[in-house]
Amino acid sequence: MKQHLQRQSGVANVDVSLIDGKVEIVPKEDGKIDPTQLLRATYDSGVSVAELDMIARGKIVKDSAGGLALQVTPSQSFVIAPNELSNELQQLADSATFVTIRGQLYKKPEGKRKPDTSASLKLGILEVQKKE
Amino acid sequence: MNRRNLALLLLLGCIFVPQMQAQIKHVEMRVEGMT
Repeated sequence: MKQHLQRQSGVANVDVSLIDGKVEIVPKEDGKIDPTQLLRATYDSGVSVAELDMIARGKIVKDSAGGLALQVTPSQSFVIAPNELSNELQQLADSATFVTIRGQLYKKPEGKRKPDTSASLKLGILEVQKKE
Repeated sequence: MNRRNLALLLLLGCIFVPQMQAQIKHVEMRVEGMT
């Protein structure tokens, strides 16, 4: 699995902990990492993903449906699942403020082995770490 | 370097540097079935 993940574009380093089943992925400084590809690569290596969390820095924008999204690059953004913390970010939509967010992009549905990687992942905000 | 070039450099810096800083910084997965 480690080799599978290290071959993905934008991945600088992969650290696997067998004891607690945690996999830490450090992206390259200038690389674009695709969480959907990480989920696919993990599943292809015969391992099931229970959760995928990430820390990302970007701008809050409004998507075409009027919801919020975190834009990390001009071509990569994540739709934000509404919760109490996302309500705080409404006022920052389409502003120049950068936010650093810790959020959950994937959680395995009960009783389902294969992740549905065709569906777009929604970012559930766990913590707003910084606004600048 | 004259003032015009310096101003242009500062303007480009303001446009591009924040974009470069926006990124996914860390990804963590909890997996099952790993041996």
